[in-house]
Amino acid sequence: MADEKQIVLEQPELGKTIRRMAHEIIEKCAEPNALVLIGIRSRGVHLARRLARNIEEIDKSTPPVAVIDVSRFRDDRVAAQAGPVVGAFEIDASVDDKTIVLIDDVIYRGRTIRAAMEAVERLGQPKRILVAALIDRGERELPIRADIVGKNIDAVERQRVNVRLAESDGIDQVMIVDWRS
Amino acid sequence: MESLKQVSSVISIADLTNEEIEEIFSLADAAEKLRADRTASGQIMATLFYEPSTRTRLSFESAMQRLGGSVISCSDMKASSTAKGETVADTAKVVSSYADVLVVRHNWDGAVQAMAEHADVPVINAGDGSHEHPTQTLCDLYTLRKEKGNLRGLTVVVCGDLKNGRTIHSLVFALARFGANVVTLAANGMALPQYVIERLERDYDYALAPVATDDLSAVVTETDALYLTPKQPHQLALYTQVDQVIQARLSNMAAGLRYDAFYMTRKQKERMKEGATDVSYPTIGPNFLRQQRFQDTVVMHPLPRVDELSPEVDKDRRGIYFKQAAYGVPVRMALLKFLFDRCAKKGGAAKRDAISFQSPEPIGPQCRNPNCVTVKEPVSSTRRFEIVSPGQANALILACSYCDHRLKVQIAGNVVSKRYYGFDSSLASTFSAWLKKGELALFDSIKEAEELGYEPFKSGPQRVLMSEAEMGGALSSMSAQILRDCREPHRLLILGVRGAGSQLAQRVANEIAKQAKGKPEVGEIEIYGSADDLRRLSPDDSNPEPLNLKDREVILVDDVIFTGRTVKSALSIIFRSARPRSVRLAVLIDRGHREVPVKPNYVGKHIPSSESDRVRVKLREIDPGERDQAVIYTIMNPAEELRKLPRNAEAAAK
Repeated sequence: MADEKQIVLEQPELGKTIRRMAHEIIEKCAEPNALVLIGIRSRGVHLARRLARNIEEIDKSTPPVAVIDVSRFRDDRVAAQAGPVVGAFEIDASVDDKTIVLIDDVIYRGRTIRAAMEAVERLGQPKRILVAALIDRGERELPIRADIVGKNIDAVERQRVNVRLAESDGIDQVMIVDWRS
Repeated sequence: MESLKQVSSVISIADLTNEEIEEIFSLADAAEKLRADRTASGQIMATLFYEPSTRTRLSFESAMQRLGGSVISCSDMKASSTAKGETVADTAKVVSSYADVLVVRHNWDGAVQAMAEHADVPVINAGDGSHEHPTQTLCDLYTLRKEKGNLRGLTVVVCGDLKNGRTIHSLVFALARFGANVVTLAANGMALPQYVIERLERDYDYALAPVATDDLSAVVTETDALYLTPKQPHQLALYTQVDQVIQARLSNMAAGLRYDAFYMTRKQKERMKEGATDVSYPTIGPNFLRQQRFQDTVVMHPLPRVDELSPEVDKDRRGIYFKQAAYGVPVRMALLKFLFDRCAKKGGAAKRDAISFQSPEPIGPQCRNPNCVTVKEPVSSTRRFEIVSPGQANALILACSYCDHRLKVQIAGNVVSKRYYGFDSSLASTFSAWLKKGELALFDSIKEAEELGYEPFKSGPQRVLMSEAEMGGALSSMSAQILRDCREPHRLLILGVRGAGSQLAQRVANEIAKQAKGKPEVGEIEIYGSADDLRRLSPDDSNPEPLNLKDREVILVDDVIFTGRTVKSALSIIFRSARPRSVRLAVLIDRGHREVPVKPNYVGKHIPSSESDRVRVKLREIDPGERDQAVIYTIMNPAEELRKLPRNAEAAAK
């Protein structure tokens, strides 16, 4: 595995990026009380919690954080083990008439977001759905956009964008890894 | 009397509550006693069959005779008074004076409902077109209950023709009501109609998830969907056709499911388009019987069968379709007994209380289903609709009260002020208030409204956003971009959102044809449609093969993008049908105000607009005599406007 790695984002910039994204969420959502953050498991959830903490610091109101379990089925993690899925949705808050922010670490083809978007609408009738992603690597296959983006990255198809977060990986770091088969 | 006959008729499985169905099942359990008691002695049942049937008719006649009653029937309705031009309404009126209950099968959707409205005795629907067949559903449910003890929590796989089979639609709704899981395995191009799926989601909180075929490959080769009850659904609901890895996981999850029954349907040749009869159709054979995991799975079929079940299944204990047919008699005995009892009690059950719309004007919306009784024989029916959605996007969605087909209405008017308005979701509450007061008029087109002397209402001047020349230029440069981004031009599919979008899709395809070698395939997607939500427009719109989106590069085309919800719905429909390689979005005008994270790839023009603005694209194909242009104007709440026009309103009221 002589993979070539290139670090594109790490602390303290990563913290500042998340802070800016929190500001943007507040700016785009007129009523902070009508906000629900939905993290796409697993790194999207860590990001959602961090964004919620930042929003709390800035705005003095804490948006509820919900979880959608799509991450273990993502196409860049083929080796994920099979098994029963538990608690695909962890949500206490109502989504009706709320502004929903779907949060993921990387947005790429747009297929995950589309599925998550459809799932959210089944829970109720949100007023608006926004997408926040730490990394937008472009190359969409569907007409889906990220409304709030931490960093845009140009990566070719054979490259992989790895987001590592302290909560799960012990370090905050985004890197581009070259596949060498 | 008027209310009694409506209450007692059984047109749809929805006319019976779950408790009533349980009551009928208990009566069926005691069929021998009903027979001994000669419960219906002295009563007469008339069978009116406009379409051939052996099973349904004979089992009804047998049921009535076992109850001690007698039967009158006409062997061939087509050759009798109908041939002389008698309407179904008249037939129902006349025959209901000869009998105490009518059993009717008709080839038109909704015909039995129309007859029930004119009959003085209860009417039982023995199948109306491709609409419903409630007594078959009762037999199916009864069979499942007999075999499996309970309906709640069962997982039933319905396979084959899920589009044309009336038994299937009734059965799926009934299973949903009793809390069973439904797995669908459709033959290619014969998936459940969109309106059935929508009703499952809306009324029963069902969630849709796809299942990979591998899992059920013992039986069929097609892929379709898995419905699960609200108890366990959200796990699967999330992963609607995301990618192949997820598909594989889903099939693993599905592998953990216990399948209680397979419900096969017959190839409905008589309801298929010409030339579509040779598509592959799932069958159950020895392979299925050998599978360990299907050892407790029963196989059902409404019969008659064509070749969906191999003879091996007949000999197996799991093939219970002959038993299922045999239950037809006790179940129909029970239903007749139940209806006679209810008549004796002078009704009692509550009527369905949906808000229905009947046009106060001589012209108004018309059901678009060519086989609906309201189209086939308008004198026997009143054009009546139920309001399904009080304002999604810019259209009001109606469902025909006879055949359930969906209809989108965009022009609404007020009978008193004689003004018409383009429907807008922000006006939904005003319109529903008018509906309650009987002041709401709905029109299929502006032309209709104007013929009745309605005047348009718009406030502020209309401003032209895009001239004919600009529109032509925008389409040509968008087409050039599409061509440039396209990897394989021959795999391209230009898919217009029905309406202006379809016309623009045709124009884009023509532009591409000018700039490249061949003309790409063009299709149309109907967001609020009932059955065919994806349709081919060119090169050959008579080609019965369903539009195949798998691995295609799809260009979705619409005139204006606003909240983005239309595109979101279109994506849902597309992904339910297949997994395309990519979907890109081309719109003539982007007016902002997005509510979902959708972004067009190709935009003719960006227009800043306020939310109360209306942007309309006029095309010569749709508005004859008009030039191609896009206009913007402001609308006002008509309730406010009415207050400003007291003189007009009073004059009209007189």
